[in-house]
Amino acid sequence: MTLAAPSTTHAVQSQSKDNALTVDNVYKQFGANDAPVIAVDHMSFDVRQGEFVTVIGPSGCGKSTLFSIIGGLMGDYQGQVRVGNEPINGPHPAVGMVFQEESTFPWRNVIENVAFPLELNGIGKAERHERAQHFINMVGLAGFEKRLPSELSGGMRQRVSIARTLVSQPKILLMDEPFAALDEQTRLLLGDKITQIQQELNQTTLLITHNLTEAVQLSDRIVVMTYRPGRVKRIIDIDLPRPRTSDVVSSAAFGKYVAEIWGDLREEASRGMADSESHAVKDAARG
Amino acid sequence: MSSTITSWGDKNPARLRTTNLIRIGFAIVLLIGWEAISRSGIFLRDVVPSLGPIALAIFKLVQNPVFYANLQATAFEIAMALGIGSALGIACGIIIGSRPFLSAAFEPYIYYMAPTPRIIFFPVMIMWFGVGVASKIALGAMSCFFVVALATADGMRQIDRVLIRVGRSFRATSLQMAFKIYLPAMRIPVLNGIRLGFGTAVVTALLAETKLSNQGLGFMVMQTYSRFDMPSLYGLLIIIFIIAGLGNAVLGRFANTAHHS
Repeated sequence: MTLAAPSTTHAVQSQSKDNALTVDNVYKQFGANDAPVIAVDHMSFDVRQGEFVTVIGPSGCGKSTLFSIIGGLMGDYQGQVRVGNEPINGPHPAVGMVFQEESTFPWRNVIENVAFPLELNGIGKAERHERAQHFINMVGLAGFEKRLPSELSGGMRQRVSIARTLVSQPKILLMDEPFAALDEQTRLLLGDKITQIQQELNQTTLLITHNLTEAVQLSDRIVVMTYRPGRVKRIIDIDLPRPRTSDVVSSAAFGKYVAEIWGDLREEASRGMADSESHAVKDAARG
Repeated sequence: MSSTITSWGDKNPARLRTTNLIRIGFAIVLLIGWEAISRSGIFLRDVVPSLGPIALAIFKLVQNPVFYANLQATAFEIAMALGIGSALGIACGIIIGSRPFLSAAFEPYIYYMAPTPRIIFFPVMIMWFGVGVASKIALGAMSCFFVVALATADGMRQIDRVLIRVGRSFRATSLQMAFKIYLPAMRIPVLNGIRLGFGTAVVTALLAETKLSNQGLGFMVMQTYSRFDMPSLYGLLIIIFIIAGLGNAVLGRFANTAHHS
């Protein structure tokens, strides 16, 4: 069943065999039943094997709630999230999360940070270091194995987090605005790194972001969310050639996609802005 | 950064020299004052003995096997009290601190029990554990427990929430969460709690020994007092003062190393 608007270019393919991840009619509200805040309103979409899908929406549209639900960190919602055909119930080994916030362990050096999931699984030190090293090289941090996070830049720390998640070899890489705290140039370059890793591992990825450039640069498909309640507004295929680099941002096709998605988002974002402004006015009136 | 940890070193060498001069000068003034009072005869000679006899008493004490037997008894009591009290305190602190409803339910108990002087439970401990070391360990562990449990519960609240989410996303077990995330993340508040717990364990154990016991340094203090052997009494007090200071310094060193790693 799909509640998405007719403009949706893709029918929801919850029956398809090659779906790595299916978000099926997920609904989540906060607060009391008489005055609920609906964060996620019957959202349905899927991520196919090897595909890079981005969920984009304005601030406050329920993206992070969706992230927590798919990651299994938030219960008490309606609908279903499936990995393959298996409904998830709590954190699932097939889903590897990368958080928006600074999430490296400050007391562990780079290699110990990256090896953390292997350590939890009781894998011996030699093997876990060897496997961690592979992903440290992949994210371009070779030579920094013994450094503490406090000795690294923000972009490097975020790459440590990504390597730490990749080392657990998740079927689906789930990222919540992993570059939010970084500057635009670092963001573009890290985007290249992500594209490269994704192609190398054929990594199924679901990215959650509010950043248009990032979304178009990286994705095969983009799910546009509405502002409060968070619904699927439209799903857009991005037919830009692969392998892709950040050079793609200067192409005409790229600009066309950005403009098209911005057309969809503008209305949502301005509703979001009006909403937060009216809150600010109310707060000011209250003193 | 080291505001919670006593830092005696100063980076500025000139200032460090001045500080050291003041410290040494103060100690000399104190000793001269003591000696002057002793010789002036304001107090009975026996109440404020001269420095010579005190030094002699210390010299005799450190050669006396009885002193070492008592020192060992007290050290054992304090070590056991610290170990048991800290282990239980950390475990309870983590359990209470990891669940908001538990912390809401139990923290008032710990909070209001913490400042109650533990020594009033001493008669109960004597009935339960006898007049030997066991009752002192129980009392010391009890006083240490509250301090460490409060410090740990507080440390739990300061842990960056995203680190807990990371642990959960990798499906860490409760024990893995405790040992690989909670404890390393709050090692500084917990170590400071243990240091404070050590202080209260020393106070409680020695206080209990002076009340009712058959061994330990507190017991020895009361014995010298009952013999009115003032030089030995003061000598013993100085030795206890030094030992407690050393213990605190060692724990402080631990906390400092954790700070820098």
